[in-house]
Amino acid sequence: MATSGEIATGVKGEGMVSILYIEDELEIGEWVTKDLMERGYQVTWLTSGEQAEQHARQADVAVLDVMLPGLDGFSVGKRLKREAPDLPILMLSARSAVEDKVEGLSFADDYLTKPFHPEELAARIEVLLRRTQKFEDVLTLKHLRIQLKNMQIVDTRTGEEIVLTGKQYHLFQYFLRHLNQILTKEQLYEAVWGEPYLEGDKTLMVHIRYLREKIEQDPADPQIIETIRGIGYRVRR
Amino acid sequence: MFRSLQARYMLIILTALILIQAGYVLLSITMSFGMNVEPVVSASQVERDWHEEAGGLAEGSPAEISDLFARWQARYPAASMFWVDADGVLREQTVGREGREGDLPAQWTAVSTAQFIKERYNGDPFTVIAFVGVGSGGFVVIELPRSTFDPPIQQVYDQFGTWLGIGMVVIVVLFILISYLFFRRIRKRLMQLQEAMSIRDVDGLPVIIGLSGKDEIGSLERSFNDMVVELKESKRREQQEEQLRRELIANLSHDLRTPLTKIRAQAYTIGKAEVSEEARRAIEALERSVVNLDRLIDNLMSYTLLMANRYTYNPQDTDIVRLVKEHLATWYPLFEKEGIEVDVDLQLLRQHVWQIDPIWMGRVLDNLYQNVLRHAKSGRYIKVATASLELHDAVIIADRGPGMRNGQSEERGAGIGLSIVDRMLRGMDLDWDMQFDERGTTIVIKRQRKQAA
Repeated sequence: MATSGEIATGVKGEGMVSILYIEDELEIGEWVTKDLMERGYQVTWLTSGEQAEQHARQADVAVLDVMLPGLDGFSVGKRLKREAPDLPILMLSARSAVEDKVEGLSFADDYLTKPFHPEELAARIEVLLRRTQKFEDVLTLKHLRIQLKNMQIVDTRTGEEIVLTGKQYHLFQYFLRHLNQILTKEQLYEAVWGEPYLEGDKTLMVHIRYLREKIEQDPADPQIIETIRGIGYRVRR
Repeated sequence: MFRSLQARYMLIILTALILIQAGYVLLSITMSFGMNVEPVVSASQVERDWHEEAGGLAEGSPAEISDLFARWQARYPAASMFWVDADGVLREQTVGREGREGDLPAQWTAVSTAQFIKERYNGDPFTVIAFVGVGSGGFVVIELPRSTFDPPIQQVYDQFGTWLGIGMVVIVVLFILISYLFFRRIRKRLMQLQEAMSIRDVDGLPVIIGLSGKDEIGSLERSFNDMVVELKESKRREQQEEQLRRELIANLSHDLRTPLTKIRAQAYTIGKAEVSEEARRAIEALERSVVNLDRLIDNLMSYTLLMANRYTYNPQDTDIVRLVKEHLATWYPLFEKEGIEVDVDLQLLRQHVWQIDPIWMGRVLDNLYQNVLRHAKSGRYIKVATASLELHDAVIIADRGPGMRNGQSEERGAGIGLSIVDRMLRGMDLDWDMQFDERGTTIVIKRQRKQAA
């Protein structure tokens, strides 16, 4: 049943991810809602931000347009964050100025400018959900099955659990949080060790070698942790 | 009348001068009325009068002599006199001489008389010897200090010199003290003014300061306050214009991009249906047009802001090698998707920390990578390198495509992306050049190395 300002909602099935979507442009709203529903999400689409807070608690992720009638998207986003601080918010806007992006990212988790491709929107929603671990519980990477909640890694060929040491664990977890992204040595080192990376330091390479020895089928030809020559590493699904 | 600091200081100088003059006048008056300052008299007059009066005595009796001495003593208190009778006997001398009795012989002879005259000739005291009557009564001698004949001012100096000196010193010290206090107050006010001028409000502008007077410093404070008001007004107008500009750009961006989003939505929806190959190519062309138009809008807006010097610029120390690497990491999947080989050679630079705006540099790299995708895709190669050249540290982006100049690419465009690159690099004080040849295009962004201090 649609409430005031609410255009369409899907019935939330068991385990379905719920997206709160606020967009005043009917054509765009219809298109995005339909596309997201086809991708298996349950979508609550509102044409203004006044009722947004009522839906904040039920949503797993919020997608907000900035230029809305009445309350603008920035104000709505801030209210949503107050109401549900853990709710990831993606700003979807035609405003591409740096100042707008900076303002949006001061509270939102991501900012995507129009005209966007639905694949990109879906990918970004997936990243947000993965970051808050509301997406899938189990991730399969080649021969590995990974329980994301407790980071239990099982080799599907042997059924044995792979146990990682502290740094290997943090390193692999960081890769999984940034799936498909190329991470530079500096980014990885600073995220895992919490110190500035010094050029020439081999610590990271050594840990990656140990990690590969544990998770790769053939560490000499790694398929999970890819080396991007001259830049860094990537774990791709 | 005395609001001006200059007038006030002139008043202090004038007062000091008047005090000095008044001191002189006061001393003169004191000298004339209260002090024992003898009137001006000439030596010749004294000599003439002494001879006349001594000569006028008939017989030179002691009573006459005493009377003569009393009259002259009254006239010249500093005078001393004595009488030697016709027999050469020292008969009488005035009180003033009593303490010096020993220097006069009791019995005068021709020799002692001559010796006395010789001693006193042109000496001090001024001495006049006169015969009493026609000479039968002996002679009388008057001695007057030569200072008796000094001008009054000389007498004042002689008598009150020390006090006059002390008075002068007091006046000069007083003048210096008042001048010191006067300038110390001015200095204190100027220091307070300087301190107040350096205080900044939350908007980064100076604050209005309190007025400390109506003199020149007060005028300066008023002018400063006027300037602050004008600055605040100017800042307010600037912020208003900035806000209007932002709203205009935001609205323009919204109005242009919303229909583009709708076109993309329609194209995407149609593309998902079963369509002919021709229709699919049309949809792909439509998609590309949307992307190009979006980029053009973005470039136009950025270029407009850059031309108006309104593009936010925040220079900071930036590790250029790291920035290029992290930026390339975000572009790598796109190059990979297009089948472009990425050759990365990011060497440590001799000076790798550049004072640049990372957002600007990111935008420059975005535009250059976009150009590679648009104009050099067919070369299937991009090299991104950093290198320390002879005088410069450089970022090098090279491709093997036909490039813009050859006009073989699908979309030549107006070159606005490169105009933005040029303007931003120059804005960050960086040089750049672009070379085309049959092998492709090479772009070198250079920063001249700074000499170690």
